[in-house]
Amino acid sequence: MDSAATQEAPELAVRCLLDNVQGLVDALSCIRWKKQQDAICELSEHGMVITVEEWTCLQARVYFRKELFREYQYQAGVRPRFGVSLALLIDCLHTFTSSTGTTALELCYPGPDMQLLLKLIDANNSCINAEIRTRIPESIPREYIIDDEGNLPISFAVKSAALKEVIDDLEWPGSNITITLSPAPPGVSFRGEGHGDLQIDLPYDTQQDLFIAFQCNRHVSHRYKYKFLRATTSQIPNSILKDNRGSKVTIGSTGLLKVQHLISVRPTHAQQHHYMDPSQVHARVSYIEFYVMPDEDDNNEGTQ
Amino acid sequence: MKFKAILTDYGVALLERRFVPAFEKIGKTCHVYLTRVHITLLHNVLNADGVQAVAQFSREVIFDDYQISSQNDDRIAFTVDLTLLSRALKSSVSMDGDKLLVKLVRKRPSLAEGRLPYLTFESKGHRSAIIQDVPISQPLNRIDVQELQSSLDMAQALPRTLVQVPDLQQLQGLVDRLGKVGDVLEVGVTQYGDLHLQVSTPMVSIGSEYQKLRVIGVRAEPSSSEASSSTRRLQLALQKEEASAVSVSMKHFAKSLQCYLTKPDASFCGVAPDDACLLMLFQYFKPGTRQTDNTISLHYRLPVLDQGRP
Repeated sequence: MDSAATQEAPELAVRCLLDNVQGLVDALSCIRWKKQQDAICELSEHGMVITVEEWTCLQARVYFRKELFREYQYQAGVRPRFGVSLALLIDCLHTFTSSTGTTALELCYPGPDMQLLLKLIDANNSCINAEIRTRIPESIPREYIIDDEGNLPISFAVKSAALKEVIDDLEWPGSNITITLSPAPPGVSFRGEGHGDLQIDLPYDTQQDLFIAFQCNRHVSHRYKYKFLRATTSQIPNSILKDNRGSKVTIGSTGLLKVQHLISVRPTHAQQHHYMDPSQVHARVSYIEFYVMPDEDDNNEGTQ
Repeated sequence: MKFKAILTDYGVALLERRFVPAFEKIGKTCHVYLTRVHITLLHNVLNADGVQAVAQFSREVIFDDYQISSQNDDRIAFTVDLTLLSRALKSSVSMDGDKLLVKLVRKRPSLAEGRLPYLTFESKGHRSAIIQDVPISQPLNRIDVQELQSSLDMAQALPRTLVQVPDLQQLQGLVDRLGKVGDVLEVGVTQYGDLHLQVSTPMVSIGSEYQKLRVIGVRAEPSSSEASSSTRRLQLALQKEEASAVSVSMKHFAKSLQCYLTKPDASFCGVAPDDACLLMLFQYFKPGTRQTDNTISLHYRLPVLDQGRP
């Protein structure tokens, strides 16, 4: 055991074992929309939440619940929260995916110098370990809440690949994108006005196969910056798109847009034997949420 | 100066499918050095920078009917473009002829130009024949040939300890990923059979340790400090002078792993005396056996960066 660090820092707040490192890499890759991003990682008795923000206009969160770990030991009084470079965290975790995949990655926090410690002992007498320096976060991530003023939330859900395709297509006009949901005729439309006009309609009546859910009792229309909208789907890895679980889009009364992706974090083939219980396999889902503020110049009334 | 020989089928397969593609991954050209006994491909050996690669074959592995003569003790060396050499070998294979004759010639490319040196491949099939002229450099002068020979002789000074590198493709996967974290790789080799690969930047320290690898040369028994970290284990081994560690360019290390194209049966890694370079050495078995084939050898020398461990 490579335990010098742990011996010097016996007060570990969190120690967990993760089977599917690629699953965490994929989830974190979804929120890496630019090269340098500072992430805030919060550990709690429920699991791990990693948050990145762009000004106050865009926020993304990855929820990695404790059920996704083979073991999750949490013994902190106050929830530990630390800052870390998202790119570095992904690149380091990616290194651990080069192992044979038969053993679990151990994550511990904090190390003797408040580092995040990663270690994987492989079956063939090899060991990979990493110490990632963390920093004290300058601010606490903002809590976004979809305020529905007592109404049913306006939302729709489609396959992740379909949502990505629509948003990718809107790159041509660029600029701002207006998203409209209407109950009659029921449907969603995306309209971009920039170098030209492009409108993509998703009518609920005729394309029910496309929709997993559609919930709209009033007309809603808000405008969002394309670059922020693009960040919500641009980095979804192909493995997730292939799995194609679904993405849910919700619009609050103030125009706050929430895009939630569900991704499966299945154990690798070599680890299947640990998860013979089908209910446990079903529970292995991670959530990725994006919050996008409407464009400030949006003089639109929004709802009718 | 004369050189003429017939390439064996095995020789063509070795060069065309294994060694020339591996050399193409590290550079555009290489030296071909022919002596009465050996055929040697050398990349970058006359420069101090960059990866140096040396592949040596006994002449009977590659050629039949080997005829060589020169005023420099029957030694001939020249530079060849690897893409052109590869292309000539490939099309010779596709000809499926009886014999593939290789010879050094001087020809005029056009009437206006003087005679230039070529390595000519003559492949004679059942119904047709093909002649391919691969342009080469002017043959190296006596001093340069001696320099090539010296670099070969230098390779005789092996590291005191070599450890057998585990699964090359898995190692390549690891190094590709480590390359995203940093540009400098620290490589440590202990006499206990441990190989340490470490990337350290101000923000992260990440590395891999392989233990209980096969050791060639000086070996020692590890002390019973099982509880210490891999970094600490290497530090202790360095203090006891039972290990060597150097820093090399991540790009150079990744390039040297392209050796997998030559399909080595065993790969070894060690630090040359006085931390002069990191040596990667490859062995090949005689086909169908587990006996080392001493007629083929390959090694890479990686320059050591200044910020190596003290």
